[in-house]
Amino acid sequence: MKIVKIYEDSCVYCHLCEVACIVEHSQSKDIIKAFKRETKPIARCSAEFNYPLSYSVMCRHCDDAPCIEACQTGAMHRDERGYVVVNEDKCVGCWMCIMACPYGVIKKDERREVWGLSTKCDLCPDRETPACVEACPNNALMFEEV
Amino acid sequence: MKIVIIGNSVACINAIEAIREKDKISQIIAVSDEQSRAYSHPLLPNLVIGDISRSDERFYYRSRNFYEKNKVKTVLGKKVVGISSQNRYIKLENDEKISYDRLIITAGGKPFIPKMDGVELEGVHTLTNIKSADKLKKDLINIKKCVVVGGGLIGSKIAEKLAKHGVKVTLVELMKRVLFPVLDDTGAEYIHKELKSLGVKLILGDSVVKLDGNKRVKKAVLSSGKSIDTDAVIVSVGVKPNLEFINESGIEINRGIIVNDYMQTNIDTIYAAGDVTEAYDIVTSQKRPIPILPLAARQGRIAGLNIEGENVKYGGGFPTNSITIGKISFISMGIVDTDKLEILKIKKDGEYRKFIIDDNKLVGMILVGNIEKAGMFNWMIQNRFDVSWLKDTFLNSDFGWQYFSKAFRILRFDRKIK
Amino acid sequence: MKWMKNLKNYTPPAFKVIRDDDRCIRCKACVEQCSFDATFYDEEEDKIWNWDANCVSCDRCAAICPTEAITVETRGYSYRHNYSWGSHIDSLKKRAIFGGTPVVSMGNDKPYKIYWDHLLLNASQVTNPSIDPLREPMELKTFLGKKPHSLSLKDGKPDTRIYPQLELNVPIMFAAMSYGALSYNVVEALGRAAQHVGTFYNSGEGGLNKDHYKFQGNIIVQVASGRFGVHKPYLDVGSAIEIKIGQGAKPGIGGHLPGEKVTETISETRMMPQGSDAISPAPHHDVYSIEDLRQLIYALKEATEYSKPIIVKIAAVHNVAAIASGITRAGADIICIDGFKGGTGASPQVIRDNVGLPIEMALAVVDTRLRDEGIRQDISIIASGGIRNSMDVVKAIALGADAVYIGTAALLAIGCTMCQQCHTGKCAWGITTQDPHLSKRVNPDIASQRLINLLDVWALEIKETMGAMGINSIESLRGNRLNLRGIDLTEKEMEILGVLPAGE
Repeated sequence: MKIVKIYEDSCVYCHLCEVACIVEHSQSKDIIKAFKRETKPIARCSAEFNYPLSYSVMCRHCDDAPCIEACQTGAMHRDERGYVVVNEDKCVGCWMCIMACPYGVIKKDERREVWGLSTKCDLCPDRETPACVEACPNNALMFEEV
Repeated sequence: MKIVIIGNSVACINAIEAIREKDKISQIIAVSDEQSRAYSHPLLPNLVIGDISRSDERFYYRSRNFYEKNKVKTVLGKKVVGISSQNRYIKLENDEKISYDRLIITAGGKPFIPKMDGVELEGVHTLTNIKSADKLKKDLINIKKCVVVGGGLIGSKIAEKLAKHGVKVTLVELMKRVLFPVLDDTGAEYIHKELKSLGVKLILGDSVVKLDGNKRVKKAVLSSGKSIDTDAVIVSVGVKPNLEFINESGIEINRGIIVNDYMQTNIDTIYAAGDVTEAYDIVTSQKRPIPILPLAARQGRIAGLNIEGENVKYGGGFPTNSITIGKISFISMGIVDTDKLEILKIKKDGEYRKFIIDDNKLVGMILVGNIEKAGMFNWMIQNRFDVSWLKDTFLNSDFGWQYFSKAFRILRFDRKIK
Repeated sequence: MKWMKNLKNYTPPAFKVIRDDDRCIRCKACVEQCSFDATFYDEEEDKIWNWDANCVSCDRCAAICPTEAITVETRGYSYRHNYSWGSHIDSLKKRAIFGGTPVVSMGNDKPYKIYWDHLLLNASQVTNPSIDPLREPMELKTFLGKKPHSLSLKDGKPDTRIYPQLELNVPIMFAAMSYGALSYNVVEALGRAAQHVGTFYNSGEGGLNKDHYKFQGNIIVQVASGRFGVHKPYLDVGSAIEIKIGQGAKPGIGGHLPGEKVTETISETRMMPQGSDAISPAPHHDVYSIEDLRQLIYALKEATEYSKPIIVKIAAVHNVAAIASGITRAGADIICIDGFKGGTGASPQVIRDNVGLPIEMALAVVDTRLRDEGIRQDISIIASGGIRNSMDVVKAIALGADAVYIGTAALLAIGCTMCQQCHTGKCAWGITTQDPHLSKRVNPDIASQRLINLLDVWALEIKETMGAMGINSIESLRGNRLNLRGIDLTEKEMEILGVLPAGE
């Protein structure tokens, strides 16, 4: 299964992965509109830094995903591609998945009116290569088999 | 094989799924005293307020056709009154008997009601199942003022929800803080502040001893002698394992049903899972009931797999809790309040982090506010990870993989090690 | 803005960063990428500011900006226009303020005449056929080293002594740039590209990191006046040994690697204490004459059992022809002549901008002199210093070079934008820095591929031009000045270059 492989030795900490992720998951998919006009989605990847190290990390799409096991509403599920994704309509924001994720890569989006929404990497279902991989200027993220 | 499951909630459906993964043939019968399909208990306060309705799919754990899809026969609305382990049958309240080859008890908990006069009055509610929620919801139009007894997860949540709904809520908690077992004083401060800002009146270190009223409750009297005028009382002091029907079955019980690592009771053919059991707690190294949802799910699954002869061990669990009150979310795990072990803690703007370390192993933690990395600590507790070289970085708000050694991090990212 | 202009040491900023606020999405990529502290974000104002005085116009921010909101412009001249003083005003002020001579990097950027641009190439029409390189074989293979005077036979079999040679698939090599000046990843990329293409990269004077011994067969090792990291295994791993006498950007000047750049790995590679300045003396203190040079050449040949060609690298200076003749007679197999446009990691500005000769001139006079003396076959010539494109390579070879070195061009391929800040060690493109966070900006996978692409494309372009001239082997182009014509040159210049004027 292909996932986004992380090559930390090439990460330049430019945050373009996060920018690309936000744009890809925005309504308009237009970079200026996504940041300036619309409610900005939460980036599913996060660039982390501890000099001189930096890398961007996002869901590893585990085979035995603890988040799926933890999610009791069935919002967190495996889609037809085999990737772990959230069904927005079912998620109630109980953060059980956050509590379970050993990678700490599930974000909480508290902007929905009643329910919070677990937000995580969905490996861009509308694209062949995930947006972050395409945006990375230094091949620090690559869409590869693990 | 004929498998009977008592109870129909999270442990039950996970057991069904586990069984059906391995076995499409055996007959499965789920027996429950509730009428509804498996629903989300943590959402009961939302149901009361009307955030969610019973027709909302979100309210249920599995889709409508779950039983049909998994070929499960359901016996709903029937209470189990006894088990005969010699003759392998269970007895229902209408004297009907259902025989079994294997039995899984996932009966869950029932509300613990402390001794107080007047609990039988109208307007006194509990909130542990859909029936009680419906009752409370129907009563809601009579409620302008309300006393919530017990500031646990359900108590705090319903207090928050009712306050947002415009009810004048008084929360009475016996201990010195709300959410006593899952937070410490500093962490609870955030919740106190949040509840107060919503208009909830907090009375701590006190308890309700008497409910007064004529037919309907009018007044709650506290042990300190104070009395509060009220339209309703919600008792949410806690749950205890539902063991009523176990009595003469020969199943060994303590505070809950005692199970081994395979979720098996002392009787070979009977398994138990969920809030009804007393399973191994890896942080305190003892068996005790831990009534939380993820463990019920895991135990249910393990019971199901072991019935199918898979020999899967339950590695032990520990309490993990996540709740959002107002704008504050927190997650806590394991031991949260002690003065005997090594404690690291820091309180910052809108964020509180506390870690409890025993012999270089993480045994508990509290995150308030910034909770997104909680799973990493969960993993460390679960795997008894040596944190001696890492613990100095726990208090950093940006704690993450950057503080691990490179080789370990790369292996983890590439999914080479679990 | 957090900072306050410091008038005590103020010279007007040379550049201005212009940010289109309609496009700026506050992603702060530019803030993270600026290694010169010229960009910062003010959270309260939610605005990104620039401190123009710190900007070096490396263009990293503009390149990384996802919305193309940034333009870096050269600022208009601050002072009243003055033809004779011009940039000397600032230059003078800097000396007066800081009390030191400014150190600069890259090559001479003054508007001297570039002779490459005044040389035109020939093509075949009717009287001889041109060749299509895509259909017919075209030979770029080049051997560098001393060639025999004549062939001799013994019992009907060849009995000529063949001297050690460097075999190049393209007549282009990567010039000496030391590990220390360059980051680890760049050296790695150069090595990989040289190995892939079948040419050589030069270790420079900083020794060879043990990780890079894997490039054996594609390394030229350098012995310079500092003798950093020179030992037997180092000499053995090189396919040739280069004695560096001088460098085009700073003829007659030694080298200076500041102590901050001498990190743990650099100190290990250079065999010197960590944190101490690495100083290469101006001369080799054992080479004060051609005779001394001969001793050094033969000492190195002896040490490597006469198995490797010895290169002597000199800067192009006024009597370069005579020096080259002496070097040939001293026993060198290859001479490298570095013109005054050659780059450097750090050089005093006055030297870089005023000392030396254009490579075109030096190359022509050396080739002519060696031919006149009948010793051209004893030595191969490498031209370097300001080779910018494949046509410069063709013209250099036609002027008499056997091969060329490219340094600046290779760095440009990797990402360099020639902001001339190599000496600061803060290279925003991760090329000339030892900062482990900055040096990650060069990914050796990408960089080596770009170098390979560059050499492949240049090779193809060289073949195309040779084909147009009707030449199918680079050997036939070497010193073939009949294929060159001068334009806009004085008669004397053409006489020195040995070319006819256009039209003649």
